[in-house]
Amino acid sequence: MSLITTDVKDNILYIQLHGRIDSANAAPVEEEILEAVSGCTCTAVIVDADDLAYISSAGLRVILRLRKTRPELKIINASSAIYEIFEMTGFTEMIPVEKGYRKLSIEGCEVIGQGANGKVYRLDKDTIVKVYYKADALPEIHRERELARRAFILGIPTAIPYDVAKVGDSYGSVFELLNAKSFSKLIAEEPENLDKYVELYVDLLKKIHSTEVKPDDMPDQRAVVIDWVNFLKDYLDPGKWEKLHNMVEAVPVNHHMIHGDYHTKNVMMQNDEVLLIDMDTLSQGDPIFEFASIYNAFVGFYDFDHDAALDFQGFDYDTTISIWKKMLPLYFGTTDPVALKTVEDKSAILGYSRLMRRLIRRNGFDTEEGRKLIAHYKNQIETRLDSVDKLQF
Amino acid sequence: MEIKKNREGAKLTLALVGRLDTLTAPQMEEVVKSDLDGVTELSIDLKELTYVSSAGLRVLLMAQKAMNSKKGTMEICNVCEDIKEVFSITGFADIFTIK
Repeated sequence: MSLITTDVKDNILYIQLHGRIDSANAAPVEEEILEAVSGCTCTAVIVDADDLAYISSAGLRVILRLRKTRPELKIINASSAIYEIFEMTGFTEMIPVEKGYRKLSIEGCEVIGQGANGKVYRLDKDTIVKVYYKADALPEIHRERELARRAFILGIPTAIPYDVAKVGDSYGSVFELLNAKSFSKLIAEEPENLDKYVELYVDLLKKIHSTEVKPDDMPDQRAVVIDWVNFLKDYLDPGKWEKLHNMVEAVPVNHHMIHGDYHTKNVMMQNDEVLLIDMDTLSQGDPIFEFASIYNAFVGFYDFDHDAALDFQGFDYDTTISIWKKMLPLYFGTTDPVALKTVEDKSAILGYSRLMRRLIRRNGFDTEEGRKLIAHYKNQIETRLDSVDKLQF
Repeated sequence: MEIKKNREGAKLTLALVGRLDTLTAPQMEEVVKSDLDGVTELSIDLKELTYVSSAGLRVLLMAQKAMNSKKGTMEICNVCEDIKEVFSITGFADIFTIK
């Protein structure tokens, strides 16, 4: 059997080392490596240590000699133990050594949740792991974790994103376990405390919106909304579309945080602490962009299907409408009906713009039901545009 | 969790013993809110701390902000490897002065 295996990808030669490499097998390992390298026209050589259990000084010398002929040499997928050997011997200062992902077993772990893209397991009393279905979920995992990390150090209360681990053939993201209940559950269980929960819910929203972020740290939601509106150009009355377009362009750039999916399932309560989860939609921009998505979560989604509120939010349509109505005076500090109507119009215009674009892109015009909804969204946008002259609050 | 306090003039040392988590963070928050009067130098000793949760990190962040706003200093010392790792992956290692 070969002591090493090799692979060529994108003109890079990968050399996988297996098991133990010590004085007993260093010489034949070196011979195989040299043979692989000499017969190869690759631009780079990478040593993959994923399956390497131990390497002695004799093995390290083989790598040193290889580096002399291939100065660009790099080592990847080192386990913690292997990395420590490279570090102790000073190798990490000479050769780039990248740590591999910790390997985790979820055998016997309790499943505590299941979402569209993964399953959540309880690892121990302090941690959970979200295992992604897709094998190539790494970029997505890192993107969400980086956003969560940035929010966390800015003081937004959320679970600690620990590390990324390999779980079988998939990847998992390890988070702090929260002993928490979502606001959806709490409101469904204690309708008498609705006012208290809405107040806490608005407090956290204000905290998010008052958190300043660096321009490059989170995506700009303004650009996203301009895209929605541009898409609608051929579907709205030209004069109305131009007004909408000019108003979106006129919303000032704003470097404050927006959650982007702020509904009551994403806000949790642990003891007396209110926490935010699901950070993959974090962005920055004017609060109107947040209110557009909040409007949809509480109102816009259910115009023709009131039962959907119960499926999505966990409480009935009347409750979602009442939360929306209670939120606005708390957030904006006014009970003036005219001012609140304007807030609702602005939120609805952008909320329905998003829904209209989404439905058209999902071939909404192909069905009777779809055409009815698109006409409804169009009507809502166009009517409400008459009473609004700017979108920011 | 136990918080051992030692005040010497403008220097306050807090030694945390046990777990700083969602159940015990309010205890620490109370200290940050009421015991920092006249303190310009805050030292938090984690020698006997075994675990820190997000709630714990938030209260440490709160202490750091309180010290920043009065132009004082805060250092965290005797941090075990596990907690150091948590500071480092969360980015808190760049915010705190860890000794």
